[in-house]
Amino acid sequence: MDPWWIDIIKGFLIINLVLVGFAYTTWAERKLLSRMQGRYGPNRAGPFGLLQPIADLIKLVRKESFFPMSASNKMYIAAPIISTAAALLTFSVIPFGPGWHIWKWDVSGSVVDAPIALILVFALGSLGIYGFIIGGWASDSKYATLGAMRTCAQLVSYEVSLALAVLGVVIQAHSLNLNEIVHQQGEQFWFFGPQFVGMVIFFLAGTAETSRPPFDLPEADTEIVAGYHTEYGGMRWGLFSMAEYVNMITLSGLAVTLFFGGWHGPWDPLGPLWFLIKLAVVVFIFIWMRAALPRLRYDQLMRFGWKVLLPVATLNAFVTALVVVAVK
Amino acid sequence: MLAYTAVGNVFVWIVWIAAAAACIGTGVLVVTRTNPFHSALALIGNLGSLAVLYLLLSAEFVAAAQILVYAGAVMVMFLFVIAYLGGKADAPWIGGRSWHQVAAALAGIAILADVLVAISLSAGGTLKTEAEVTRSFGSPEEIGRLFLTDHLLAFEITSIVLLVAAVGGVVLGSHARRTEAEAAAESAEDAA
Repeated sequence: MDPWWIDIIKGFLIINLVLVGFAYTTWAERKLLSRMQGRYGPNRAGPFGLLQPIADLIKLVRKESFFPMSASNKMYIAAPIISTAAALLTFSVIPFGPGWHIWKWDVSGSVVDAPIALILVFALGSLGIYGFIIGGWASDSKYATLGAMRTCAQLVSYEVSLALAVLGVVIQAHSLNLNEIVHQQGEQFWFFGPQFVGMVIFFLAGTAETSRPPFDLPEADTEIVAGYHTEYGGMRWGLFSMAEYVNMITLSGLAVTLFFGGWHGPWDPLGPLWFLIKLAVVVFIFIWMRAALPRLRYDQLMRFGWKVLLPVATLNAFVTALVVVAVK
Repeated sequence: MLAYTAVGNVFVWIVWIAAAAACIGTGVLVVTRTNPFHSALALIGNLGSLAVLYLLLSAEFVAAAQILVYAGAVMVMFLFVIAYLGGKADAPWIGGRSWHQVAAALAGIAILADVLVAISLSAGGTLKTEAEVTRSFGSPEEIGRLFLTDHLLAFEITSIVLLVAAVGGVVLGSHARRTEAEAAAESAEDAA
């Protein structure tokens, strides 16, 4: 058990690391997309455009923070804050290391070590949705409301499959505690082997949950301008964007934790480094998908979610339960 | 150690008072706001503060499930429908007396009586038995075990009720779609 001040230090460090990770994910995304499309991408601010995220931040902060005349003021301002807070909170349960013994204190490898960590992730995720819906509704604009409706429908549809995909891992590990799940993978095998179907479903549903292409219908710019954040500008828009990227990073971290052995690697003392490398690979796949795949149509999205992903996810959980009982 | 627990107790009191006040406050907002979207948001706040109260009772799983199922999944549907249909509702007391208000008053009196009985019993010392809170209390394992042993019947009946609701939803939805298709066919016939 950590003393309370170690928790505060850890929380502070992790939040800032995640924010730096967010800033450089935007850089990596722009750079990679450009390379995949035969362009250079950002290359003016600093070497390889490495100072671009900082330049973007300064630009966003200095912009006039306008809002529509008919917008519902308090909710309009609160919405991006709700989304970002929920997104940042979720990362606190992801284990990033084996835990250390520093001087006379035991420091665990995650900010919060909760026995119900996995449920907490989904609970916080479902609260984050409200930021998007409230933002779209409070803007009092047709595009924003349509975007909020789409976000709502899509996230609710794919949340079910995401939870069912995770259920297979929970049944195999007999635990909802993420630290415990990582420990078990260190002792036996990484779960992406036995839970391969679950992993694929997790990736697909996760892409839809974070509104990444090809499931980016909530902000399909050719159809509804920018969706729920059409009426947002400056750093308020920046917060929405931050929430989306942090959600993507957290989901990648969750994928690494559940299916790829978390911080385990060939040499165990380097736990956080292995975690970071695996996280970067998963984030790269997300960016790659954006460059490679065209957006789905809305009816395709709904049909795929309810008629393909959900039955397969249910079957996967069912078969896993049968096999686990049979082996025991 | 003693000072540590004393500080902890004060903290628990502060959190309890804040959560209880938020619970009552948002509860009042749910029934007094004329904008249904605001009411729904207040209801989310109400469910959230209930989750905090569950946490204080060391029922972590119930608290997380409360957020995930009620504040998350169910209320999203409410907001979805309200944002789609929009509009403003009248305040509940507009339009004179109705049987709704009689029923609401009766329910309120019943709950008040319940609270009064509980307070007087605990003041009389009848409810003073210490609760047995072990390490596994409120854990998912323990709740799962109870569902499949002591409360199996209630668990199964609930699942049947939910199944019936789901089937009902599908029937209503397909009926609406069929009448739409029939109307379209009729208008096509008329045009012909």
